[in-house]
Amino acid sequence: MTSGGLEAGGQIPGFIVKKIEKEVYEIFIGPQHPGSGHMRIIVRLDGDIIVEADPDIGYVHRTMEKLSEVREWLKPIPLLERMTIIDACNVTLPYVNALEKLMDKKPSTRASYLRVLLCEINRVASHLYGMGIFGVFIGHSTMYMWAFGDREVFLELAEALTGARLTHTYPIPGGVRRDMPQELPGMARRAVRYMRRRLEEYRKIFVDNPVIVKRLSGVGVISKSRAVELGIVGPNLRASGVKYDVRIAEPYEVYGELDFEIPVFEEGDALARTWVRVEEIKQSLNIIEQAVNWLETHKGEPVIAKEDFDKLPKLHKEVYEREGRVKFVPAHATMKIPAGKAVARGEMGRGEIFYYVESDGGITPYRVRVVTPSARNAIVFKHVVPGHTLMDLPAIYGSIDYFPPESDR
Amino acid sequence: MPPKISLKKLDRRGGLFEGVKSNIHTLALGVKYLVDPQRSTLLYPKEYIEHRPGYRGFIIFIKDKCISCAACARICPSAAMKMVRVTEIDPKHPDKPRQKQYPVINYQRCIFCGFCVDVCPTEALYHVPFHDIVYENLADMFLSLEMFQVEPQRPATSEGLPVVYEVDEIKGLVKRRKS
Repeated sequence: MTSGGLEAGGQIPGFIVKKIEKEVYEIFIGPQHPGSGHMRIIVRLDGDIIVEADPDIGYVHRTMEKLSEVREWLKPIPLLERMTIIDACNVTLPYVNALEKLMDKKPSTRASYLRVLLCEINRVASHLYGMGIFGVFIGHSTMYMWAFGDREVFLELAEALTGARLTHTYPIPGGVRRDMPQELPGMARRAVRYMRRRLEEYRKIFVDNPVIVKRLSGVGVISKSRAVELGIVGPNLRASGVKYDVRIAEPYEVYGELDFEIPVFEEGDALARTWVRVEEIKQSLNIIEQAVNWLETHKGEPVIAKEDFDKLPKLHKEVYEREGRVKFVPAHATMKIPAGKAVARGEMGRGEIFYYVESDGGITPYRVRVVTPSARNAIVFKHVVPGHTLMDLPAIYGSIDYFPPESDR
Repeated sequence: MPPKISLKKLDRRGGLFEGVKSNIHTLALGVKYLVDPQRSTLLYPKEYIEHRPGYRGFIIFIKDKCISCAACARICPSAAMKMVRVTEIDPKHPDKPRQKQYPVINYQRCIFCGFCVDVCPTEALYHVPFHDIVYENLADMFLSLEMFQVEPQRPATSEGLPVVYEVDEIKGLVKRRKS
C-alpha cells in the first residue's frame, strides 16, 4: 500500500472501496459474533435505526452440488443431509424422490409412512431448535434450555427408529433402511402426549409472556404481497397469510391421506412467525400419532418396494426378518440410473426445498441442483430489517429461523 | 381425510388484566420448575448410556466371513474404508501362500452411516452400540486389520454405571439405572 492510496483515488487490490455517508455508522455482526451464526450481517446505522442491512452469506459453502456429481448415486444422501443436520430426513427425501422418478420406482406404502413419521419427528425437532435459538437471541434463556431439552425426546425417537440421533440416512430409492422397532409406537405416543402438555407450558412462559409479546409484536412485519414478492417460503410465508405448503400444493409420500391442518396467520410479524411454529408442532404431533397407528395395524408389507424385496438373497431376507434391517445388494454401490431429468420438492421445517437431478445414464449424477428454504429466506435481512432498531435485528433473525449451513450448501 | 388449511388469529387482547394474568402464569410456572426441575443430565463418565440394539456405532470386522468382494470399500461415502492386500498361508496347503484383500477402516473419516454393514453380502461387518472411544493420536484412528477385528472397550465401562433414557409422559426424557 505504498503508492496510489485511497486519497489518490486508487484501488486496493482485493478490497472494495465504498463511500460511507456522514453520520452513518457501519458495524459488522459476525462471523465470529455468537449471535450471527455462520454468516456476517453488515449493518449501517443512523443513530439506533438500521438504514441498511447486508447479509454476507457463504461462510459454510461446501460445494455440495459439485461434490454430488462425483459420487455414486447413493453417496450424496449422507452428504446432503449434512446441509441441515437438524432436519436430515426432510432434506434428503426430495433427492430420493427424484431418483425414484428417474428409476420409475415406487416405495411401498409402509416405507412412505415410515418416511413421513421421521419427517415429522425431524420437523418437531427442527422447530424446537429454532425456537430455542430464538429464545436465547432475545434473552430468554429458559426457552433455550427447555426447547433443547425437549428436542432430545424427539432425537431419542429418531435414534430408536434409525440408529442415529441426527444423521439418519434413512430413505433410499425404493423404501427406507429399517423397519420400525417394536417399542417405537409406545415411545412415540408418550412423547406426543408429553409434548402437547409442554406446548401449553411454552405458551405460558414464552409466547404469551407479556415481555415477549411486547418484544415481538409488530417487529419485522412482512405483508402478504411483500412476502410473495420477496419469495420467502415456509412458516415465514404462512405467518404472512399466504396459504401455501408443499404438503398440500403437491402432496408427496402419504401426506394426501393424512388428516392435519396447515396453520396460517395473517399478521406477518415476529410473534406470528413464532406462533406458526408452535401450531405446526401440534400438527406434526397429530401426524406422528396417525403414522404410528397406521404402522402398527398394517404389518407384513416390506419397507422397500415389493419387486426389490423379492429379488433379495436368502441371507438378506433373514436379516430383515431378524433385525428389520434392509441390506443393500453390492450392485447398489455402482448402480446406474437411466438418463433423464427429474424434479422433486418437499416441505422442510424451514420451508420448501427443491431438487433438480439430471442423469446421463452413468454411475454418478450429471447435475444435482438444490434450492434450500434458507437460501430463499436470506433476502429478509436485506429488505425487512432496515427501519428497525439494532436491537430488533436478533428478534427478526431468530423469528425467520435462518440456518446458514442450509443456505450456503 | 385430506389435509386442509386453517386460518388462525393471534390473540391480542391487551389490557392491564390480561397482562397481569399472563405475568402471574409465567412466574408461577417458573417457580414450579424451580422447586421441581426436570433434569436429564448424564454424569459421564460415572454413567454411560447403554444404547438400544441397532444403534450405529463402531464397526467390527469378522475376517472368517469376508469374501473379499470390496463392496464395503466401494459404497463408503467418505472413503473411510480401504482394502488391504495380505498374504495368507492356508494350514492345509502351507506351500501355497494366497493373496487376499480385506477391509480396514479410518475413523478419522468414518461418518457411521452404516452403508458398509448393510452392503456386506456375508454379514462380515457389524455395529457395536457405542462410539465413545478415545485414541491417543490421530494415526491410531486408522485401524489395522488386527485392530479392526477386536471389539473395543468403552472407557466409561471400567468405572461407570450403565443408564438408559426412556421417554416418559410426564417428565420427558428420564434416566434410569440399568441393573
